[in-house]
Amino acid sequence: MFWPFDTAKKLKSIGILGMNARNYKFIARLNKRRLYPLVDDKVQTKALAIKNGINTTQQIGIIEYQHDVKNIKEIVKNFKEFVIKPAHGSGGKGVLVIKQWDDNRFVTASQKVLSYAQVYQHISNILSGLYSLGGQYDVALIEEMVHFSNIFEQFSYQGVPDVRIIVYKGYPVMAMTRLATAESGGRANLHQGAVGVGLDVKTGKTLTAVQHNVPVQIHPDTKADLKTLCVPFWREHLLIAAKAFEMTGLGYLGADIVLDETKGPMMLELNARPGLAIQIANSAGLVKAIKRAEKFYPKNLSADERVDFILKEN
Amino acid sequence: MKHFFNIRRVLFSLLFLSLILTAYTLYYKVRYWGFDLKPNKTTDVWIIDAHISFKALGGPVNVYLSTPKTDSEFKILNEDVIAKGYVFEKDENTGRVKLSSSFRKGKQNLYYRLTVYDNEASLGKTKSKEKAKINLPVYDEQQMQTAEEILAAAEKLEGNTVEQIISIFNQSPLNESVETLLPVKANLQTRAEYIADLLALKNIPTRFVRGVKLIEGKKASKADLMLEAYDGQNWHLFDLRTAAEGLPENFIIFQRGDVSLFDVEGGINSQIRFSVLKSVTSSFKMAEHRADVSATAGYYAFSIYNLPLAEQNILKWLMVFPLGILVVVLMRNVVGVPTMGTFTPMLVAMSFVQTGFGAGLICFSIIIAVGIALRGLLSRLNLLLVPRISSVVIFVILIIEAMAVIGHNFDIEVSSSAVYFPIIITAWIIERLSISWEEEGPKNALKEMFWTMVTAIATYAVIASEAIRHFMFAFNEINLVILFVVMLLGTYTGYRLTELKRFYPLIKQRK
Repeated sequence: MFWPFDTAKKLKSIGILGMNARNYKFIARLNKRRLYPLVDDKVQTKALAIKNGINTTQQIGIIEYQHDVKNIKEIVKNFKEFVIKPAHGSGGKGVLVIKQWDDNRFVTASQKVLSYAQVYQHISNILSGLYSLGGQYDVALIEEMVHFSNIFEQFSYQGVPDVRIIVYKGYPVMAMTRLATAESGGRANLHQGAVGVGLDVKTGKTLTAVQHNVPVQIHPDTKADLKTLCVPFWREHLLIAAKAFEMTGLGYLGADIVLDETKGPMMLELNARPGLAIQIANSAGLVKAIKRAEKFYPKNLSADERVDFILKEN
Repeated sequence: MKHFFNIRRVLFSLLFLSLILTAYTLYYKVRYWGFDLKPNKTTDVWIIDAHISFKALGGPVNVYLSTPKTDSEFKILNEDVIAKGYVFEKDENTGRVKLSSSFRKGKQNLYYRLTVYDNEASLGKTKSKEKAKINLPVYDEQQMQTAEEILAAAEKLEGNTVEQIISIFNQSPLNESVETLLPVKANLQTRAEYIADLLALKNIPTRFVRGVKLIEGKKASKADLMLEAYDGQNWHLFDLRTAAEGLPENFIIFQRGDVSLFDVEGGINSQIRFSVLKSVTSSFKMAEHRADVSATAGYYAFSIYNLPLAEQNILKWLMVFPLGILVVVLMRNVVGVPTMGTFTPMLVAMSFVQTGFGAGLICFSIIIAVGIALRGLLSRLNLLLVPRISSVVIFVILIIEAMAVIGHNFDIEVSSSAVYFPIIITAWIIERLSISWEEEGPKNALKEMFWTMVTAIATYAVIASEAIRHFMFAFNEINLVILFVVMLLGTYTGYRLTELKRFYPLIKQRK
């Protein structure tokens, strides 16, 4: 039986962070509203990352106005593959990955073939704000495609996983990766059936793995042993996350990082309101991790020093 | 953390203050303006006509009439005299009305009309510092003996001396001694005089009280007579038939004691007859007059109840919004359900109030369903966002139009109620539903729609009752309370109900 007060008490005792507490205690306190555009607008985030020496996906071009949409082929003419995304999008909405194209045939990552008119329409939709927060006018961002490291290949059905790291006052406190499954339709949403893998912040190795809130040992489609997953270049992952704090000034943020085959870990996007699902993947509460950081982690360290501190911490 | 508790403390203090304010104004409005907690409360308004008729002798005429004082138990709404050619004067202290005219001859009919309301409960006690004097009766020896027998017999009855003596004059069959004392055809007036005499013998001062018992449809009746007895400090009122103490309900006193009820100078065969008419009016309409008589007119003038009726009706509608908002806040932040648009459920609930629940729900479902179907056709056209949502808005207008026409012609009320739904909001629901359907699948879309409707229904359940809407309007300070409750909910950092379910497996995994 499910008793609300009893459940609330137990969740509190294991330090689970709720939406209200996240918004009131952390986001409202630590994230100044004027800083939001830095992460909500991917064009700005990208520019900032480059300025701060953070590895990120290369921008091919942007389309700001409806009458520029027709230039799309001109913009990407030197690229065999590219990604179109809304600058103000969230949760992967409106992202179109083109793997191969010629005059009137655009093949997407999921092998769907689109006509030029359909791609044109997609960009128009982005500009009119269909995928942006609050529906305001948006900008279409055209980026180089990431060549995902095949290290994850055996762990994911279709889509390529990214690593999400929660950063509290510059310290990475919790990490996870989401593995798409056949059930989730190649998407990385946990409630649609993707596997959530909690990663050890110190090592980048699997701590726990859950699907539909139930612990799992192997990937349901690829049958890979999830315990063997270990994210390479973990220190570089942590460093990108830690630097995001100085770069944006946000005291509580989520950094999404992808691993490129040749270029290593790259910052994909930042989030000023990172979700709470990471607790389910880790089977652990964020409050606990944050309290620990608040109590024991030294202040005024550089990003490098913070990462070293984390890695050496007992 | 300290900061956090300070904010809460301030908000709690403000909430407390607003609660006190609300409680005080509630008392104030009920006490002085006659507001009621329940809607459609009515007030009885009594119209009393005093008809004085006499035959004028041809000289100057003066007519005097005692009328209720303004500080009587009733509130006087209006006072009117129909007496052509007579000059009206009124002594505000005693309530004595004077009608005068020069050189009148023949039958005269004068009318004094009084409109009163709000009979307040009263013990029928009147404080008096003046020492009341006793008029001992002039009895012969035999009468005196009979009187003593009566007094002795009365002592065996229940009640105080006054009650005992009134009772013995009302026994059936009548006490022998009483029968001996009273003249053969004794009316109430005569009887009352003997009662007063006997009380004088007992050293209790008395006086007569004349007034009108307010009974609907009373026609051309004489004034009703009552007796007041003095206990050294207060005058106590007694019914001469039942001996019951206190002012009967709906009894309005015109005259007390030595003053006559009415006097006519320059006329003969004068008589006064009272007629009573009852009318019922909404308590709300009487509020302004109540405020006037209770000397709170200044506050009333600056209240929303003094606005033109059309504006009041709009405000009455607006006053419900905070309550709807509170429900939305609770559903979103404490229960934690996803809804389409923050206040969409509230606006839908508002429409349900106008259409009625069943009709509204069916009608709204039809609009949404037809809208979704049309929107489905639209998505093939690959229109840009703003023109597309604009088309949906026009679709909604056309659907509403069609439903209203169909409803009117085939007399289907459900269909006619379509006009009450907010067009833009409905269009956005359709748009979001169809996008959510395309992008995240029907399951997700229907889930969001489901919770939107659940929230709308919850809001409806709260604001549907006329009693609640009346309360929110009549005691609108409650909206301040809601404001601070909502602000306090803004500092609520506990789990949402849905989160408990979401994270519940984490507890199970621990075991």
